[in-house]
Amino acid sequence: MESFEPYEEFKPIPLPVLIIAVALALWGVFTLLDNGKAVTVGRAERSDQIADQHANRQNGAELFVSRCATCHQPNGSGVEGAIPPLASSPFLKASPEVAMHILLNGIDGPIRVGDATFEGHMPSFASVLSDADIVRLVTHVRGTFADRHDLLTEGDVATARLLAGRRGAWQGGQEIAARLDASLGPQPPMSSATQAAIDPIAQKLVSQGNGQTWACASCHGMRGQGSASVPRLAGLPAAYIAKQLGDYVTGKRRNETMQLVARTLKPQDMRRIGDYYSVMRAPSNARASLGGDLVRGERLVLDGDWARGLPSCVSCHGPSTFGVAPSFPALSAQHPEYTAAQLTAWVSGTRDNSTGRLMNGIAARLNDADRRAVADYLATLPPVPAPATRGRTNGK
Amino acid sequence: MTLTIGLLLGLSFFASLLALAFLIWAVNNRQLTITQHDAYTIFTEGEAGHPDDATTEGSQDEGGAARAHHFDTERAGIDAISRPAVVTLISSGIAWLAIGSIFGLIASLKLHWPDWLVGEAWLTFGRVRTLHLNMVIYGWLSMTGIGVAMWVAPRIFHTALRYPKLPIIGAILWNVGVAAGAIAIASGWNDGQEWLEIPWQIDILIAIAGSFFVLPLLATAARRHVKHIYVTGWYYIAALCWFPILFFIANIPYIYSGVQEATVNWWFAHNVLGLWLTPLGVGAAYYFIPKIIGKPIYSYSLSLLGFWALALFYSQVGIHHLIGGPVPTWVVTLSIVHSVMMFVPVIAVAINHHVTVARNLWALKASVPLRFISLGAVMYTLASFQGSIEALRSVNSVTHFTQYTVAHAHLGAYGFVSFVMFGAVYHMLPRITGRSWPWPSMIPAHFWLVVVGFAIYFIGLTIGGVLQGFAMLDVARPFSDSVQVVLPYLEIRSLGGAVMVVGHLIFAAHFLAALIQRDAQAPAAQPHDTRSAVST
Repeated sequence: MESFEPYEEFKPIPLPVLIIAVALALWGVFTLLDNGKAVTVGRAERSDQIADQHANRQNGAELFVSRCATCHQPNGSGVEGAIPPLASSPFLKASPEVAMHILLNGIDGPIRVGDATFEGHMPSFASVLSDADIVRLVTHVRGTFADRHDLLTEGDVATARLLAGRRGAWQGGQEIAARLDASLGPQPPMSSATQAAIDPIAQKLVSQGNGQTWACASCHGMRGQGSASVPRLAGLPAAYIAKQLGDYVTGKRRNETMQLVARTLKPQDMRRIGDYYSVMRAPSNARASLGGDLVRGERLVLDGDWARGLPSCVSCHGPSTFGVAPSFPALSAQHPEYTAAQLTAWVSGTRDNSTGRLMNGIAARLNDADRRAVADYLATLPPVPAPATRGRTNGK
Repeated sequence: MTLTIGLLLGLSFFASLLALAFLIWAVNNRQLTITQHDAYTIFTEGEAGHPDDATTEGSQDEGGAARAHHFDTERAGIDAISRPAVVTLISSGIAWLAIGSIFGLIASLKLHWPDWLVGEAWLTFGRVRTLHLNMVIYGWLSMTGIGVAMWVAPRIFHTALRYPKLPIIGAILWNVGVAAGAIAIASGWNDGQEWLEIPWQIDILIAIAGSFFVLPLLATAARRHVKHIYVTGWYYIAALCWFPILFFIANIPYIYSGVQEATVNWWFAHNVLGLWLTPLGVGAAYYFIPKIIGKPIYSYSLSLLGFWALALFYSQVGIHHLIGGPVPTWVVTLSIVHSVMMFVPVIAVAINHHVTVARNLWALKASVPLRFISLGAVMYTLASFQGSIEALRSVNSVTHFTQYTVAHAHLGAYGFVSFVMFGAVYHMLPRITGRSWPWPSMIPAHFWLVVVGFAIYFIGLTIGGVLQGFAMLDVARPFSDSVQVVLPYLEIRSLGGAVMVVGHLIFAAHFLAALIQRDAQAPAAQPHDTRSAVST
C-alpha cells in the first residue's frame, strides 16, 4: 500500500456550489415575496366579493340586465306570443306592490298585457334577490318602462316575503287583479284544469319507499330540492326523470346508490315518480360553491363559446335553462356539486345517456374551470317556474 | 397576529441566508482557522493512507498487524470502554430491524391481499403499518445510530467514553419504551399522529432513556483530547441536542389541536428525518468513508457549509406535507423555500463524500462495508434532491398522498440511513469482537439482496405512485381507478420488500453468530482481549 502524503492545501468551496447557493437564495426570496403578494391580492379580492354580497352593490339596471333581460329583452319589449312586454305594461303602471308580488311569487297562468294574452310562467325570484335588490329592481323597471316613480320600502318587501313563502305562484292575471289591483283590466280566466291531483302511490314511493328500498325523499328532500351532490328534482320533466331511472337499470347511467334504488322500481313507478316531481315546487337552496368564475359561467350558459365548439346551455335547455320537456332537464337552481359532477361523468363515460350523445361532446370540451363556472352560475339562477302551467301548456 | 409571526418566520429565512453568506465569506477568506489538516483528526499518526477494513479480502498483510500495534495503547483502550454500550445498542437495533421489517412486509402484503390476517384487531393494516414505522425508526435506526455514535465519538475525541454504564441503562429503558409503545399501538392506544403514535405517557420513558445517551456523549466531547472537533462530531452533538427538543415539544399533550396539531406533527415528523436520522447517517458516513479508504475527505470548507446549511434551513421543511391544507399560505411557502434551500447542504455533503470515494474506486471493490456506506451516501444525495423537488407545489399536488411519497421515505430512511448503518456495523463488529465475521460470504449476499430488493421496491413504487397521483387528479376518472392502477406496483413492492427482509434476516443471523462466537471464547480472552480487538 503506497504511503499517503497528507497535503495542507486549503480547498475552497467550488464556484458552482456558490453560484447554486446564491441562485437558490434569490429564488427563495422572490418566492417568499411573491407569495406575500398573491396572498394579499387574494385576500383583497375575497373581501371585495364579500363586501359586494353584503352591500348588494348591483344597482337596479344591473339587476335588470342579469335577471330579467334574458326573457323580457333589454328594451323590455318581451317576445311576441311568449314573453309579455314590460314597456307600458299595466302591471308596472299599477302600484309597486304588484311588481314586487310577482317577483316574489312568480306567475302560473294566463295573463293579458295590452291586447295580447300570454301563458305566463315566470319563476319566483324570492330565493335569489334580497329585499333591497327587489326594491332597486322594481324602482328601476317601473321608472324605465312605465314612468312611475313611487317608492317601495324594504319593509314592504320583507312583509310580503313572509306571505310569499306560504302561497305558490299567482294563478294567472285574474288572481293578481282580484287580490292586488283591480286597475289591471279584464284578465283571462284560469284554465279549469287546476293543479293535477297528487298521485298517492307516487307520494308513498317518494316519502316512504316501496319496502325494498329507501324513500326518494330521504336523500332528495321532502320538496325534491336536493342538496350538494344530490340533485334537485323538483320541476324536472316527468319523462326525463323516468328515463334516468330506466337508464340506471340498464347501466347507461351509473351510480351505485341510484342503480340499487332503480332496480326495485317498476316502469310504471318510474313514470309516477316523474310526474310527481315534475309538478313539485321548491325554492332554490343552491348556492355557487365551487369558486367558479361567474362571468365566464354566464357567458357559457347564455352564449356558449363557439371558438371551442361549445353551444350555449340555453339553446337546448330553454330560456333561463328552465328545461324543455321531454329530453332537456332544467338546469337552473341545480346544485353546483351535482352539475359539475355530471359534466365530469359525461367525459368519463359513467353517464352516457344523453340525446344523440350531445352532452358527451360538449362536456369533453369544457375544462375543469369551465365546469365549475357553469355549475356555479346555474346555481345562482331562480328555480323552474310553475310546472303545472307548463304541463297544461304542453297539453294544449 | 399573522403579520407578526409571518414576519418573524420570514425573517428567520433572511437571517439564515445572512448567516450562510457570512459563513461562505469567512471560509473563503480563511477567517475560520481551519485547514485541511483538521480533517486528519480521525487518523492517528501514520494511519492515513492504509485501508482500514477487517473485511477487506486479501489485504490482511503484516502491514495491518504493524499498524494495529501502533494503536494498541491509545485506540484499543478507548474501544474497550465503549464496547458493552455499543454491543447492547446495536444488537437491540438489529432485533428491532428483524421484527420491524417483518411487520413492514405484512403491511405491504395487506395492501393487495386485503382479506389476509383480518381476524385480530392488532393485525389490521392501520396497526401493522404503524408498528413497522415505529419499530424501524425508534428501534432500528435510532438505536443503531446511537450505537455507532457511541463507538465513533470516543475515537474522534481521542478519549474514552465517559459514564459508559449509562448508555446500557439507556438502551434497556429505550427498548422497554419502544416495546411498550409497540404493544400500546397494537392494542389500539396511540396518540393519533403519524410518527408520534407512541402514547406520550410512554414517550416520557423514551425521553429519560434518551438523556442517558446524550449525557455520556456530551461529557466525552467536553473532555476530548483534540482541540478540533471532526465534522462527524458536529453532526453527532447537534443531533443529540436537536432530537430531545423536537421530541419534547411535539409530545406535549393537550396544547395543540386541529391545524396547529397537524403543523406541529409534520414539523416534528420531517425533522426526525432531517435533524436526527440524517445527522446520524451523514456523521457516520463522514467518519467511515475516509476511515476505510485511508484518505481524508475532499474539502473541509464544504463540510462546514454542509453542516451549517442543514442546521439553518432544515427546521422549517416539514410543512410542505400540508400543501393544499387549511394552513396559512405563507407558512407553506416558507417551508417550500426552505426545502429547496436544502440543495445547498446536500450538494456540499455530496461533493465531499462522492469525490472522496470516486478518487478511490479501488476501495469499493475491496470493502463491502464501504460499498454499503458510499451507496448510502449516494442515496442521501438522491433522496434529498428528490425531497426538495417533491416540496414544490406543482410536483407535490401529483405525488403527495400517493405511494410515491412512501418510496421517497424509504429512499431516505432505508437507502440512505439503513445502508450506512449496515456498513458501519460490518466495519465495527470485527473490531468489537476481535474476530472476523464467521460467514464472510454472507456479507455480499446481504448487500446484493437489499440492493436488488430495494431497487425493485423503489422503482416499482415510484412509477405506481405517479400513476396513482395522475389518476386521483383526473376528475373524469373515478377514485377506484387510482386504486386499481397502483395494484400491480404494490405487488412489485411486496416482492422487493420480501427480498429486503431476507437480507435483514441473514444480517441478523450473521450478527448473532458473530456475537455467540465471541461469547464462547470470551471467558478466556476477557482480560486482555483489547489486543486481539485490533489484530484482526
